[in-house]
Amino acid sequence: MTTNIKDIHKHNRVGPIFRGGELATAAIDALEEDNPDKEFTIEDRAAYIRVETDHECIIRRKTMEEILGRPFEMQELEVILGSFSGQIEAEQEYVRFYFDTKI
Amino acid sequence: MALLNRSDWYDIARDTNWTPKYVTEEELFPKEMSDCFDVPREKWETYDEPYKTSYREYVKVQREKDAGAYSVKAALGRMKFLDSADPGWKSILKLHYGGIALQEYAAGMAEATMARFGRAPGMRNMATFGLLDETRHGQIQLYFPHEYVSKDRQFDWAHKAMHSNDWAAIATRHAFADIMSGRDATSVALMLTFAFETAFTNMQFLGLAADAAEVGDVTFSNLISSIQTDEARHAQIGTPALKILIENGHKEGAQKLVDIAFWRNWRLFSVVTGPSMDYYTPLAKREKSFKEFMIEWIVGQFERNILDIGLDVPWYWDTFLEDLNTTHHGMHLGVWYWRPTVWWDPAAGASPDERDWLEEKYPGWNDTYGKCWDVIIDNIKNGREDLTLPETLPIVCNMNHLPIVGVPGKKWDVRDHYLDYKGRRYHFGSKVDRWVFEQDPDRYAGHQGLIDRFLAGKIQPANLEGALKYMGLQPEDCGKDAHDYAWVWNYNKPDKVAV
Ligand SMILES: [Fe+2]
Ligand SMILES: [Fe+2]
Repeated sequence: MTTNIKDIHKHNRVGPIFRGGELATAAIDALEEDNPDKEFTIEDRAAYIRVETDHECIIRRKTMEEILGRPFEMQELEVILGSFSGQIEAEQEYVRFYFDTKI
Repeated sequence: MALLNRSDWYDIARDTNWTPKYVTEEELFPKEMSDCFDVPREKWETYDEPYKTSYREYVKVQREKDAGAYSVKAALGRMKFLDSADPGWKSILKLHYGGIALQEYAAGMAEATMARFGRAPGMRNMATFGLLDETRHGQIQLYFPHEYVSKDRQFDWAHKAMHSNDWAAIATRHAFADIMSGRDATSVALMLTFAFETAFTNMQFLGLAADAAEVGDVTFSNLISSIQTDEARHAQIGTPALKILIENGHKEGAQKLVDIAFWRNWRLFSVVTGPSMDYYTPLAKREKSFKEFMIEWIVGQFERNILDIGLDVPWYWDTFLEDLNTTHHGMHLGVWYWRPTVWWDPAAGASPDERDWLEEKYPGWNDTYGKCWDVIIDNIKNGREDLTLPETLPIVCNMNHLPIVGVPGKKWDVRDHYLDYKGRRYHFGSKVDRWVFEQDPDRYAGHQGLIDRFLAGKIQPANLEGALKYMGLQPEDCGKDAHDYAWVWNYNKPDKVAV
């Protein structure tokens, strides 16, 4: 690791950390679709998948429905949302991960 | 019948800030139970929980989570995995369940404190779900190990440990009482939900889940990561509370509570998660080192979040970063040496290959911790197991109640940080532990650690045998080397003679 450990927390990466499975795959597809201008990094550790992008991203309920081809309530995401980086805004139509500040 | 959108009724349903008629506001929400900062009620009304749920959604989602966890357990027929599991991994399970299951119930009581005494309606609402979450965590983590009790009585400690005076139980109770049962609702929101549940629970419930998946313990991996999805939700009780405190001029006080809780949790997890990841997990199955997981979850994720919400890094941040290289190695050495005093069988994790890994992850390990293991290895080889076993008790810290550790070998830095207060000398494992004590000395001063009890004559006979009895350990419960020293004989293989 070349980064100085004292600087490791100075970043702007946000995003969900999912437990694996079909729903996680759909949610990652939804992230790509709902945030077309963002690049995502995906770290898959079997038990969890860390998905991160710069500063802000959103997952919309409607996008999840389109991808899954069935009705979807945003709250269902909780079953796989083990953690997240950044702050969260979990509403009925979307979930958003973000930072207020930029470093 | 079509249901209303949650957002159409949520604000009205949540608003339970009635004006009391028969008692005063202060009687309904006493400062010492509700909010030690005494932020006015109308300020608390701006509290908006960022991760909302409703009872209907909660029941549906929790049912699905439980169905997942229990069906994986049933489908995989756990007993077979356990039979073939590495003894080091079994020790991780025993340590996890004994150290955590009953504290989940205690966490439920802390959620109940916020559900009743929280100043914001949204906090009370989310904490009610949090209370149900913690009840689930207590029950499920007693149920899963229960089937092993008939095979291995150390698993009985899943239920027993927290009721005992084992040193590890004293340390755990002391730390959690300090951030949960011994605090007002607002402090609980900061110290438990923010500083603990958005930080260290990720280490034990997701980081360790990654190792569990590698090892093939799908049931455990699935169970603990499922638990963490509850944590991710109710951990968000703290964020809006922190923002309100900062907005109302209490940044310094809030920072102090977060710093205390963070440090206390760090020390506790250095003895639980540290040895589990770097020594007990079979070498080939280690996803990352403890330090690497700490960098991912705590340094990278949690600490960045602290800044975003408006706090600063703790004043001891540099010390903490240094400790990532050392503390848990010392804790591990202590736990292994005092193995008869724990309810699991510590894996040494010090075979030649494992040492290579440790040296790579922690440069200098061989010249420091390795020196102690060299002596242990020689003693075992020479048939002197007795020299690798304790005859007395270690000095423990009067704050974290864990052995006082430092770096041995070439970088020797072991020292006692002490403080004299009201005619008594207190010993601390670090300057930060002493700082915690100094923030509120009378809060901590009356507590007797294991060594204090020993010196006060409460442990009889006053030797290791008496101490084991006091800790509730029967001879069959007492920890042994997990691999019965098989790792020592790897040093006899020709290509490793030089070690
Ligand atoms: Fe919990
Ligand atoms: Fe919790």
